[in-house]
Amino acid sequence: MRPAAESNEFRRDLVSVLPKLRRFAMTLTRNAADADDLVQEVCERAITRYHLWNGEGRLESWIYAMTRNLWIDEIRKRRVRTGSGTVDASEQDELSIEASGEKAVYVNQLQKMILSMPEGLASVFLLVNIEGHSYREAADILKIPIGTVMSRLSTARLRLAAMITETTERRA
Amino acid sequence: MQSTKGLPLDVRLSAYIDGEVNEAERKELEQLVARDDEARRVFDMLQAGNAFGNKAFEEFLHDPVPLSLVRRIKQGPGVNPKIERVVTATPRQAKQRLWPRALAASVALLLVGGSTGFIIGKTSNDDTQPVNLAAARTWLDDIADYHRVYARQTAEHLVEVPASAEGKIEGWLASNVGVNFSLPDLSDKGLTFEGARLLVAAGKPVAQLMYRDQDGDVFAICFLKSTPGSTDGKMTESMRDDIAMISWQKAGASYVVVGPSSDANLHQLATAVSTAI
Repeated sequence: MRPAAESNEFRRDLVSVLPKLRRFAMTLTRNAADADDLVQEVCERAITRYHLWNGEGRLESWIYAMTRNLWIDEIRKRRVRTGSGTVDASEQDELSIEASGEKAVYVNQLQKMILSMPEGLASVFLLVNIEGHSYREAADILKIPIGTVMSRLSTARLRLAAMITETTERRA
Repeated sequence: MQSTKGLPLDVRLSAYIDGEVNEAERKELEQLVARDDEARRVFDMLQAGNAFGNKAFEEFLHDPVPLSLVRRIKQGPGVNPKIERVVTATPRQAKQRLWPRALAASVALLLVGGSTGFIIGKTSNDDTQPVNLAAARTWLDDIADYHRVYARQTAEHLVEVPASAEGKIEGWLASNVGVNFSLPDLSDKGLTFEGARLLVAAGKPVAQLMYRDQDGDVFAICFLKSTPGSTDGKMTESMRDDIAMISWQKAGASYVVVGPSSDANLHQLATAVSTAI
């Protein structure tokens, strides 16, 4: 058991990464309601398991990997509930969660466009381009091959570039 | 480093942008972009996508973090978020809430300008509503509204008197608010002093000192004269959606430190302010 001071320090660190964690969760779930539920579950789990955090590397990486795992679990549960079988979701190329729907509430059009990208693209772009994770780190967090990180990243960038044109045309 | 030989051009150039290719491939791709129009076009598209994505993802960080979650983490076991859950401040809701608060702040600014007396004097049928509002609200509610409005301002409009006029701020605010103080230097907390404002909250003049951290988040210290002899000193934390406030009383004045609810070190900041101010 670690001392209470360490626990408090961990909680403070956890609170400080909440905005980033929520953003990462949004790229997985692609809607705010699921993202908030996921973030809450991750934080509860992280607090009970903080003794497993070795303090090395980035806290975000540890939390993100946990977030991804919990989301995969959630997808699996949903598949079972809906009678879609018990295939391991992590083995699927795409997780087949609809980005649109009544739960999807977006802050603005930009977010909506980002979250409308095919699954997997936004998470990779966020981890590498925004948060500066290496390809290896992103692959470890998302549990996908580095080659997949590379191809998804390239695809994400080209899709984002195409959105500039769409946005311009819409305004015109 | 990954070998990108044999991969599609856009994947190779994407890895080049991220510095994930070895030295030999880096030189090869640089030369390719320099001499080949198609390669340059793809490279430019990837860069444009980067810029667009950066901007879009920045927006996500402005979303308020669910209040129940912050409480749960800060306070530890004993608070069940499943029961206590506060409705998440979704972006659309945040937009809707901004207007009444902006309106409230505007009204308060009118008070500063001295024009409210004229308005009240000339209005015959608005006797009851302002009285009820005043009774229901505390000065901290007003401060939260101010913070919500001003924290979104650009550097140009963040403060009334900028930090460059630091020498005048203490005398100006002390004479208007009736509380002597020293400007706290919070640089060791990562905060830069931006300047000050004079506000009105609960009908009293309030001093507001504004600071900004490296991420651009705005923190405020506000204080007003309170009951003489009040030396409580006990700090009380409260939250208004995405804003956290730690308030206390000391030597005839009431103080509050205001910042984002996601900030984990607000309590330490308030303690430092209480000592330094």
